[in-house]
Amino acid sequence: MKKPLLELKNLKTHFTLQKKSIWNKETLKVHAVDGVNLKIEKGQVLGLVGESGCGKSTLGRSLMRLVQPTSGQVFYDGQEVTSLSMKEFAQYRPKMQMIFQDPYASLDPRMTVYDALAEPLFVHKIVPKTELVAEVSRLMDVVGLAPRFMQKYPHEFSGGQRQRIAIARALALRPELIVADEPVSALDVSIQSQILNLIQDLKRELDLTLVFISHDLSVVKYLCDDIAVMYQGKIVEYAEANELFHNPQHIYTKSLISAIPIPDPKVERTRNRIDLPGEPQSPINPGTGCPFAKRVGSKTCSACRDGLPELKAMNANDDHLIRTCHVEELIG
Amino acid sequence: MSQTEFIEKGNSLWQDAFYRLKKNKLAMFGFVFVSIVILLAIITPLIAPYSYQEQNLILGAVPPNGDHWFGTDTLGRDLLTRVLYGGRISLMVGFVATFVSLVIGVLWGTIAGFLGGKVDSVMMRIVDIMFSLPFILFVIMLMVVFGRNIFLIFIAIGAVEWLPMARIVRSQVVNLRKQEFVEACFSLGFSKRRIILKHLILNVLGQIIIYTSLTIPSVMLFESFLSYLGLGIQPPMSSWGSLISSGVETMEEFPWLFLFPGVVFTLTLFSLNFLGDGLRDALDPRASKD
Amino acid sequence: MALLEVNDLRTYFYTRSGVFKAVDGISFDVSKGETLGIVGESGSGKSVSSYSLMGLVPSPPGKVVSGTALFDGQDLLKMNSSQLQKIRGKRMSMIFQDPMTCLNPFLKIGFQLIEPLLIHDKLSKKEAMKKAEQALEDVGITDVKKRLNAYPHEFSGGMRQRVMIAMALITEPELLIADEPTTALDVTVQAQILDLINDLQKRKNTAVIFITHDLGVIARVADKVNVMYAGQILESGSADAVFDQPTHAYTRALLKSIPSRFEKGETLYSIEGLPPNLSKELPGCRFQYRCTQKQKDHCWKDARFPEYADLGQGHQVQSCACTAEYLKEAQK
Repeated sequence: MKKPLLELKNLKTHFTLQKKSIWNKETLKVHAVDGVNLKIEKGQVLGLVGESGCGKSTLGRSLMRLVQPTSGQVFYDGQEVTSLSMKEFAQYRPKMQMIFQDPYASLDPRMTVYDALAEPLFVHKIVPKTELVAEVSRLMDVVGLAPRFMQKYPHEFSGGQRQRIAIARALALRPELIVADEPVSALDVSIQSQILNLIQDLKRELDLTLVFISHDLSVVKYLCDDIAVMYQGKIVEYAEANELFHNPQHIYTKSLISAIPIPDPKVERTRNRIDLPGEPQSPINPGTGCPFAKRVGSKTCSACRDGLPELKAMNANDDHLIRTCHVEELIG
Repeated sequence: MSQTEFIEKGNSLWQDAFYRLKKNKLAMFGFVFVSIVILLAIITPLIAPYSYQEQNLILGAVPPNGDHWFGTDTLGRDLLTRVLYGGRISLMVGFVATFVSLVIGVLWGTIAGFLGGKVDSVMMRIVDIMFSLPFILFVIMLMVVFGRNIFLIFIAIGAVEWLPMARIVRSQVVNLRKQEFVEACFSLGFSKRRIILKHLILNVLGQIIIYTSLTIPSVMLFESFLSYLGLGIQPPMSSWGSLISSGVETMEEFPWLFLFPGVVFTLTLFSLNFLGDGLRDALDPRASKD
Repeated sequence: MALLEVNDLRTYFYTRSGVFKAVDGISFDVSKGETLGIVGESGSGKSVSSYSLMGLVPSPPGKVVSGTALFDGQDLLKMNSSQLQKIRGKRMSMIFQDPMTCLNPFLKIGFQLIEPLLIHDKLSKKEAMKKAEQALEDVGITDVKKRLNAYPHEFSGGMRQRVMIAMALITEPELLIADEPTTALDVTVQAQILDLINDLQKRKNTAVIFITHDLGVIARVADKVNVMYAGQILESGSADAVFDQPTHAYTRALLKSIPSRFEKGETLYSIEGLPPNLSKELPGCRFQYRCTQKQKDHCWKDARFPEYADLGQGHQVQSCACTAEYLKEAQK
């Protein structure tokens, strides 16, 4: 078995909202990432899906230490990196880069394209000073931008073009791993496919490992090898992309898939949707039980109220994992 | 490489803002007037018709005439000259004190906003405490103890004016810090120093410019208030504030002693305020996005 | 007769960079109980057209230059503000992408809900509150009495959207305009809201104009569809017709570029280029610069636009020689 490029062991990231004091009876903590185990191979494209608040963005940031994990471990290429000081961790930064969701907010509005791309090259001395312009031109070429625009400012470009600039910047340091946090969600549909094609081509040419975070299942199914479905900071199902779509096991995955509108009026009219009962639970101080146990209302899932079921393999191959859930049987 | 031979120029946000500013007639008037005043202040030693302390006790106070365009004061000193020299002092106090407050305020606010957490809390609580101290009294006490040194005026005024600047800069930095491009800087491995100096301060610069242009008139007024209390500039030196305060005493008999410095001072303050308002409208980030 | 008949609507924006022809000659109608879906990318003019109907175009720099919009026989575009006020909020309502644009954070929900009733229907506070309770129940909110006393920030995103829908429908308007109401919502919440709108429409026989860029959503809610691009309608017809037999090159390209139609690893179909600059003169076909049928002479020389070819049963497409060619091929 190949050594995975990235391994997460029981990773938890909790944010403290309010400390315990004479005014507050308890400490309020948001369990954004609540015990995640993952192995990512070199060259793999992993999709992280879930709805808002499930912790996928925080997970992406935690594994890169843009946000500090509260407990658990991250191993990069076999090396434990969570306990390193920020100074020691600095050498790993160029290896993992991020593409953000908002193409306008992720670029400094006062810097030209050249400034934005040359800065990382200069700081990390990727190329000598004399070759900066040439390298910036090359990067722009790679992402499909004409180098003659390098003196322009972000507000002079369209959303799709800005995202290309952001991708070029992420590639400047020649990373091995890229975490893409909803990179196409803010773009028009026709531009989305352009950027997705670009990401796919770059992945192949540069042999990148990708963690693709999105709430859009159809995009994830297209781009990713494997998908992890998250709910309230935990992974509830993990499988190869096509397998997940054709054979979803967890009720949450089923409800997600059935909610995606399909561009075919005849199909839409006759579909049946699977809806999760009850209200979403708050991620603040959630306790140890299964979050779904409380959603079923009066028929609480007593089996899981106190202890969270483990993420277990469904079949012999160990490649489709789910956290057993009884909700479907209970709502019958 | 033929592609890079012709590199198109970009339109920075500054250029957009400058265009908007030019269209604002009131702000441009303010800009022109202030520029003229500053120019006159700089070349005063070359153009002043008399020396500012040259007295002519026989003449006494005379209304404006051919020899003395602004008239003379009770000691026969030419008012135009004194207004010109007074302008130098007032503007110098305005700009220097503002600059001092700017440097302290920007650094304080940026560091507090960027580091956040406990450091931010402590730094801003200090600002809050200093805000609530009765500063006028503090300045007056300083003046009384150390005498009316012009440098002391700078320090005293600077010590008061940096506080609002720190608050404004800090809140801007806190907002910017949440933006994704700052996160990107971290992931690209940039040092905190680089992020603060190259990314944060440049983006806060707009607000700093606006606030500075509105602080200058405020500082000048504060100085004139000190002069009115008798704590400002020592004679024979004059500032507009001290000229006005002594002019008020003889307002009925010799109105020109009060009017000329008053009008010049007021027009300058208006101009600075118009310019400041114009800058604020021009640099409004909402207007330039998308 | 249709409830709303729009004819040759043109809305231009006069700015220092030129005159932006955001809406450049569109005509359509909506009847009671019918849902018209307007689909287009950013810059297509879909939102501006509905703002024009409601009199919400910021003027300056915008101006409704020409056209008529007959609402129950009266021209909305020729009304003064007091006449418009009687219709807006009472007979015609609008819901937006961000519910916080209609909800005042300082006022309780109950007060905001009854406001239109007090103004338009002149009900007493007691009667209005009763209606408000009913309205909240209609949109699927439980525990209404408690909710009426709550503030907007105490609700989740999906619930705020429901409250906004309740506010829009409380005066039982004949026409509801929904401008991207579900774009910012999670996919499961979106599905619930879409079902809700469909349901309410059936019960109250409301006419609905639904604006979105998401083809799947259109397929779910719309009876008829207008495909907009660069300020014009390129194709319109019943949802079944437009999805089954897309005729205009743009419609075909849009439907082709949906990721769910592709297998992993395949290059996505993407529409080249960017939407055109609306301040420039755009003679002839507006889509020609991105059309794969390449620029033939007639594409830009043709001064007949917009003219429509009738494909039968209300299915219309902007007529051009390229489309005629495509139809001939398709019939073979």
